[in-house]
Amino acid sequence: MSLINPSNRSKGPHKGFSKRTENNRIYAHPLPLVLFTPPDPSPLQRALGLVGISSTQVLNPHCEGVFDAATRSVWVDKHGGAMVLWQRGFFGKGDLSRSEPSWLARQINARKMAGKGLTSEEVTAKRRAERKQFKLDRARAMAAAAAEAEVAFAEGRVVSPGYAPDGTRIIPSAATWKPSLSTAAEQAPPTPDDAPEEGEEGDGEEEPLEDLEHLQLTLQEAFFLLWNLDCLTVLSPDTHEPLTLPQIWDTFQNAHHPPHLSALPPAPSPSPSPLPSIPPSPSPAPALRRFDNPFLVNYVVYHHYRSLGWVVKNGIKFCVDYLLYKRGPVFHHAEFAIVVCPVYEDPADQASSPFELQNATPFTWSWLSTINRVNSQVQKTLILTYITIPAHSRLSPDVLSSPACFAHYSVREVVLRRFIPTRMRD
Amino acid sequence: MQNHPSYPKLSQLIAKYPKASAALFQVYNDLLLAQRWSDIEVLDLPACSRGAIKGRRPITDTETIRSTCVVVPCSIAESLSTSWFHAAFASLGDPPPEEMYLAITTEDASTVYYKISKGIVKPPV
Repeated sequence: MSLINPSNRSKGPHKGFSKRTENNRIYAHPLPLVLFTPPDPSPLQRALGLVGISSTQVLNPHCEGVFDAATRSVWVDKHGGAMVLWQRGFFGKGDLSRSEPSWLARQINARKMAGKGLTSEEVTAKRRAERKQFKLDRARAMAAAAAEAEVAFAEGRVVSPGYAPDGTRIIPSAATWKPSLSTAAEQAPPTPDDAPEEGEEGDGEEEPLEDLEHLQLTLQEAFFLLWNLDCLTVLSPDTHEPLTLPQIWDTFQNAHHPPHLSALPPAPSPSPSPLPSIPPSPSPAPALRRFDNPFLVNYVVYHHYRSLGWVVKNGIKFCVDYLLYKRGPVFHHAEFAIVVCPVYEDPADQASSPFELQNATPFTWSWLSTINRVNSQVQKTLILTYITIPAHSRLSPDVLSSPACFAHYSVREVVLRRFIPTRMRD
Repeated sequence: MQNHPSYPKLSQLIAKYPKASAALFQVYNDLLLAQRWSDIEVLDLPACSRGAIKGRRPITDTETIRSTCVVVPCSIAESLSTSWFHAAFASLGDPPPEEMYLAITTEDASTVYYKISKGIVKPPV
C-alpha cells in the first residue's frame, strides 16, 4: 500500500482484489527474519540437500533503535529499519500516525494538495466526514417527513412516510446515500493554509521536509525482537553505543522504577553483573528487583501471544490492554481484546509493591460489563489473561538477573461472552 | 528525546515534572505536527504536577471559527480523581474554561483524547 502513489481505492467494506494482492505482497513476511532459499542450487548444495543440510539462509535486517527512558520505548527511524519492522510483523507504531509511520507522506500530500493517494488517516477522515454529512441529511429528511406527516394528520389524510409518490425513498439509507458534489468540493482541500508547516516556510514549495517521526517500539516489542530474533540493536541515548543484553535487561526494568533518569546523570551503583567494563548504568541492587515489574509482567503476556503467531498491538482505543490480530491490522480487524490481570502469588508482595499494576485487584462487575459491552459492539471477544506473579518469599531475587525468570510466571486465559438466554437458545 | 526539535520548548517543564514528561512530549508533538494545531503555547499547572498545552485547532464541520482549547496530558498508568479535575479547571484561569481535553498516552505512542466538561452537558441533537 504505497502512501504517495495513487492506488485503486474501492469503496465499502471489501477491499478490492488488487489491494489484497498488494497487501499480500508487501506484508508477506510475518517476522523480520526471512528464510531465503536460493532458487538454483549448485551441485554441492544439491548433494548436501540429499544428506539433509539445506541451503536455506536466514536474512537478518539488523535494525537499530535508540532507547528513550522517559517514554519507556525504543525509537527506530527510517534508516534504522522502521519500515522493515512494520512490514514484517507490524512491530511498533509511528508516533505521529495511527499505525504505519506515514507523517512525512501526509505532509507531502498536504503540500501537493493532490489527494490522489490517501494515507490511512486521510481515508478515515474522509469517511468520517461523509458519514457525518449522511447523518445530517438523514436527520433533516426524518424531520421533514415527520413534519409532513403531522400536516397530513391534521388534514385527515393518510400519507406513507417512507416513500415519495414516485417511489423513491425519502429518508436516505447508508447503502444508497451518495455524498453530494457540493460537500465533496468543500472537503477536497485539507487545511494546510492555516497551520504553518513545522520548520522552514518561505514559499514552502521546494524546501525539503525533515522527517520528524519515528517508529516507536514498546519495551516488550523491542525485547522480543532482540532476545528471540536477534534482529534489533538498541543504542544508549547518551553514548549511542549498542547496549549488551545484560545492560538492556537491567535498563528495561529500570525504566519503570521512579524517578526518570533521562535528564539526570546516571548514579554510580554496584552493578550485579559480572562484566567489568560496563559504563556506569543505573541498575537496581538485587534487593530492589521485583517480579511484578510492569516490563516483566507485560512481556510475559506479549511473548505468550506473539509466540503463538498473533500480532499483538495496544488496545487503548477499546479500553483493554492488547488487541490480537490474526495476520495484521491491514488485513482484518482484531478478533480478540486482552485484559491483563496480574495475580500475586503472595499478597505481601502486592502490599509492598512500588508499582501500581492495573487490574491487580478484582474489578467491579459494572466495570467488567462496560469493557465487555464496548468490545462486543465492535465484534471483539474479550479475554481475561491472568498472569501469576511468583512470590519473593519462594524465589530469590537472583532469579531476576536473567530472562530465565520467565519460566516462573504462568498464564491462564478466560474468555468472556455475554449470555443472553432468550437469544442464544440454539 | 533531547535531540528532537520540540525538546527545547519543553525542557523546562520536563525537568520540573519528570514523571509527566513523556505524556507532555508526546501530546505536544501530536498536536503540533500531526493534528496541525496552531498558536500552541505550553502552560504550567502546578496543582496537577504537569504542563498543559493550549492552542487553536483546525476547523471542524460544525464550527466557523477556530476555537482555543486546552489539552492536559496524562499517561494511561495514572489514576485520576474528580478533585484532580477540579484542580485542573481551577488552574486554567479565572473564569475557568467550560471544557478541556484530557490526552491519554501509552508507551507505543497512541494518544486518545477525551473531552472533559465542568458539570453535566446535554448531548448535541
